[in-house]
Amino acid sequence: MSSGACVRVLPTSAGWRQVTSSCRRLPAGPSSDPRRGLSSPGSGTVNVFNREMKKRQKNWAASLQDSHQYDYLRDEVSSRVADRIYDVARTFPLALDIGAGKSHIAGHLSKEMVERLFLTDISEASLKQRKLSEIPTHCVLADEEFLPFKENTFDLVVSSLSLHWINDLPGALRQIHQVLKPDGVFIGAMVGGETLYELRCSLQLAETEREGGFSPHISPYTAVTDLGNLLGQAGFSMLTVDVDDVQVHYPGIMEVMTDLQGMGESNCAWNRRPLLHRDTVLAAAALYKGGGGVRNDKHDTSCVTGTKLQQEVVLLDLQCEVTGLEGQSNGHSGHRATQRCTGTKRMELNVHKDVTAFSGFVSLSLGSHSHPR
Amino acid sequence: MSGSNVWSRSREKIRLFSELFAQCSGEAAAYGKCVAATTTGRQELKKDMCAKEFEALKTCFTNAGKKRAK
Repeated sequence: MSSGACVRVLPTSAGWRQVTSSCRRLPAGPSSDPRRGLSSPGSGTVNVFNREMKKRQKNWAASLQDSHQYDYLRDEVSSRVADRIYDVARTFPLALDIGAGKSHIAGHLSKEMVERLFLTDISEASLKQRKLSEIPTHCVLADEEFLPFKENTFDLVVSSLSLHWINDLPGALRQIHQVLKPDGVFIGAMVGGETLYELRCSLQLAETEREGGFSPHISPYTAVTDLGNLLGQAGFSMLTVDVDDVQVHYPGIMEVMTDLQGMGESNCAWNRRPLLHRDTVLAAAALYKGGGGVRNDKHDTSCVTGTKLQQEVVLLDLQCEVTGLEGQSNGHSGHRATQRCTGTKRMELNVHKDVTAFSGFVSLSLGSHSHPR
Repeated sequence: MSGSNVWSRSREKIRLFSELFAQCSGEAAAYGKCVAATTTGRQELKKDMCAKEFEALKTCFTNAGKKRAK
């Protein structure tokens, strides 16, 4: 597997050199052989996700005729991240957006907040479809786990809904810490916790009842508590970790799955089962609609099902401080508002999609895109 | 890809899933209730515990599909 296509050469500006154009990537290996490394931090590499597959899925999703139909979630989360950036009342000369996709965050930023923005993503098709923004942007085709940037380059690093597909999250966080200048800020949002709980439960119950066992269909998420530890280990200080609930209501299971596919969020874990029996899908659809069960406090019993897709968005808000440096003003970092450091905010985004509207959309895309595999 | 192929035909069928499924809400609710009944309490959900309800759901679904095809 060759190392991926790379970056435009950028004009140098005073103070930092050209961005090097190397995108090193782990060799993908035979796809039928899922490799599992140790998951202890700092040792070995965990290989849970097939990054090559994720790139193909994102490229396919971005090249759909009406891919903007699926942008609602990313837009919502990006606006929240942009709010956070605004709250840090600083102007960042140079910012980096990791896993930018169609640069949803850039659309919400203004020149007072960020002066120059770099967008990175593994999917070229998404970057090509990026939204216009008043800030000058540069695109870099890079894997989030291998950032091709020099150390101490950026004042701000943001990431919205892409960290949950990274194999080596501690390593990626360390790299982010490296490319940040001292007193730089990392603001990110990733999917976690109870996301897609109803989907996961209904598939699990249906598969157990129909086939006698079940396999994971939803990718594994990082727990909120682990996230704080990871960030601390990567060297960040002044952490804030929030959990925001974004609730999206769907009429049924097929709509959820099609929307996830359209967002480029299909499962790409090595251990995924490529086959889903039609009986299981039918059973899962019945359970998803609300017939399945009652939420129980016991850990091992069934789950609530309904028409809600619940996505927990974990917002991370950190500053990277290098203590002991001369001449560093602590005025900026001190005032970071800490009123958001505890508790859960509940913000509901109700997107009701009725069946007729949905089926109308699907018919447009038939025959006009390639097989996503 | 252009023209009719396995991919576009499968997608067409998947698109119809929601419409056909909407016609079988009664059977779906019965199946859901059966699964709920087996999972509350001490028993584990095993294979084919709700086979009868599922067969009813499946026949309803295939009949809806046949009716539509006519």
